Amino acid sequence: MSTSASDTAAQGRVAMQQTRAFRRPSRETLIRWAPLLVLIALVVVFTAINPAFLSLRNFGRIAIASTPALMVAIGVTFIIVMGSIDLSMEGTIAVCACVFAYFFLSWGGTLLSTAWVAIPLTLLLGAVLGLLNGLVHVLLRIPSFMASLAMGFVGIGLAILITRGEKFLIEDEVFRGLVTYRVLGFPIMVYLALAALVVAWFIQSYTRLGRNFYAVGGGEELAHASGLDVRRVRVMGFMLAGVFYALAALFAVGRLGVAESVSGANFMFVSITSVVVGGVALWGGIGGVWNALVGVLIVNVINNGMVVIGLPDFLQDGVLGFLVIVAVVLSTDRRSVSFVK
Amino acid sequence: MSTFIRDFIEREKMNRRNFLLASAAGMGSLVIPSAFGFDRARAQLVDPQIAWSYRDRASPYWLAIVSGGETFVESIGRPRDSLVNLINEGSSEKSLADIVSFLQATGGNCAIACDANDSPNARPIVEAVAAAGAYISTIWNKTDDLHPWDFGDNYVSHMTWSDLKPSEDLARALFDAMGGEGGVVHIGGIPANNPAIERLQGLRNALVDYPNIELLDAQPGDWDTQKAADVMSQFLTRYGDQIKGVHCANDVMAYGALEAMRAEGISGIPVTAYDGNPEAVDLVMKGDLLGTCFTNPHWGGGITAALAYHAAIGTFKPSEEPPEHREFYGPTILITQADAENFKKEFIDATPTYDWTDFWGPTNGQIQYPASN
Repeated sequence: MSTSASDTAAQGRVAMQQTRAFRRPSRETLIRWAPLLVLIALVVVFTAINPAFLSLRNFGRIAIASTPALMVAIGVTFIIVMGSIDLSMEGTIAVCACVFAYFFLSWGGTLLSTAWVAIPLTLLLGAVLGLLNGLVHVLLRIPSFMASLAMGFVGIGLAILITRGEKFLIEDEVFRGLVTYRVLGFPIMVYLALAALVVAWFIQSYTRLGRNFYAVGGGEELAHASGLDVRRVRVMGFMLAGVFYALAALFAVGRLGVAESVSGANFMFVSITSVVVGGVALWGGIGGVWNALVGVLIVNVINNGMVVIGLPDFLQDGVLGFLVIVAVVLSTDRRSVSFVK
Repeated sequence: MSTFIRDFIEREKMNRRNFLLASAAGMGSLVIPSAFGFDRARAQLVDPQIAWSYRDRASPYWLAIVSGGETFVESIGRPRDSLVNLINEGSSEKSLADIVSFLQATGGNCAIACDANDSPNARPIVEAVAAAGAYISTIWNKTDDLHPWDFGDNYVSHMTWSDLKPSEDLARALFDAMGGEGGVVHIGGIPANNPAIERLQGLRNALVDYPNIELLDAQPGDWDTQKAADVMSQFLTRYGDQIKGVHCANDVMAYGALEAMRAEGISGIPVTAYDGNPEAVDLVMKGDLLGTCFTNPHWGGGITAALAYHAAIGTFKPSEEPPEHREFYGPTILITQADAENFKKEFIDATPTYDWTDFWGPTNGQIQYPASN
């Protein structure tokens, strides 16, 4: 990307060193933690208006609503860190959800039979769709914005073709245990999502691929000049994102027991908003999966809180938009960016 | 939430564009047919082609409409695939352009069944059809100032469905199941959509007779299962045990509400839906849903084509029919547990055989307009 972006990355590293040394909290440190502070502030405000907000039951509800969105947000975080964008998630989720339900139902319809094979198959399918997405972007040299948007439409079309406008209902008690079986007040799917988050964090921080995402996002020309195969990193990034979209599809089906061509609806807005609100910079190189987690929680706490405090529905869209802007203002360091596009 | 804004902006954009295009095309179509020598005076047609113009092939609703149309053409001894499908894919321009092309191709010797995609688009379509001497029956979309009787025989009929009464009846069933007291929540459609407004109003109408029932909250679920599940879980936090009943504006949102309660281990709260999808009927039979409402798209698809066809060949003369035979409400069937099994047998497991010349038997009276019109 631009020189300013690599400057920003450099500043980020300086900020990290400062934090490690426990010096007086610098402006950068504050900005690093701002999303979490925004989240805590929201919880405090909503609780002050309606104490029912601060209850384990309600946190369980927010967690369930956040789980599929978190998987999508993690996937797209890798792409945004590279300085690209991926808009294919709604299509990928729709195809993955429908293909999963189709095979799950035709191979026995319960996790206790061979139908479990549908799960790894779906993850594989997510990877293949992501791979295609990445190849269209890199090989045909189409901007990721356009390539992924187009692939998303193809996905939705495919899902309509598979379902022919009908829905697949999954009644299996074992699979639905994802949302109905609870440990310490939270459904199983929440713990599985946290495990996926840890895996994503590991990939981001401790693998060469994860570090390469930052190299590409922080300064693509520099990375290329240093001998990094940038095109390969990009394709791998889209593939990895596809796997997380497939996970989102599994959680979405697990949550509602329905797979249909609109299973992916709304995930594009929620995930990208969350990632940005969480402090991942759209210009690349900054932020990571923990920011995605905080961002998803901020968006879902706002959505939940607005109804819980009894905000009239005609105000909710406006308030959501306003709070998103406030959150972005507080949680991204815009001073170091020379221009915003 | 975002869908609301997006839908609204898109709808507004489309409406403006469609209005301009449609008025241009409408004026054009007044000139073109005479230039091509269509015979306006032709009283009735011989063996006219039949077409259905509708939105898409991806939804069960339109699939049912088309299957009705195909069953009708079969009933007059033609193959099912002789029904011409004019699919507009949600575009009013395409809807009008397809119909004008079809009129050209058949030289006006045709009968058309049509949903104009949006209300302003109905006028240019009807004008083009009338100018070509062909026959058309419409459903759902037309403006309040457009009437079949202003076009002699060529604009045969318009059918739409009122959601007020069925929604009110479902609410009454819900309140009775709640024992006539307690709190109810409503999960609605996209707020500006006409069915969303009518279905909430139906609930409000029923509330008048139940002083001990309180409408705790009404929030949009945007016709979406996922959004409805979120809204339901938020209601549970805000109102908890106060919620004794759930009134949903359509079937798929009712699934979301049921799933949100299932995730919490809550059961036994009555829920009503709307649309009468096969999955919803199964849920009514199982007792998970208290009731839903069916608008019989199969019959609607068949009878709309039948009306246009029979007017075209002169079986009846539309201009001699009373207004309630030109503009009328379609049938609505309430489905509760008592009749769900019979309903499933009759309408889902088998498709009933209809008399396609009983044009008005199942209809629900003349369309009423707001007082300002």
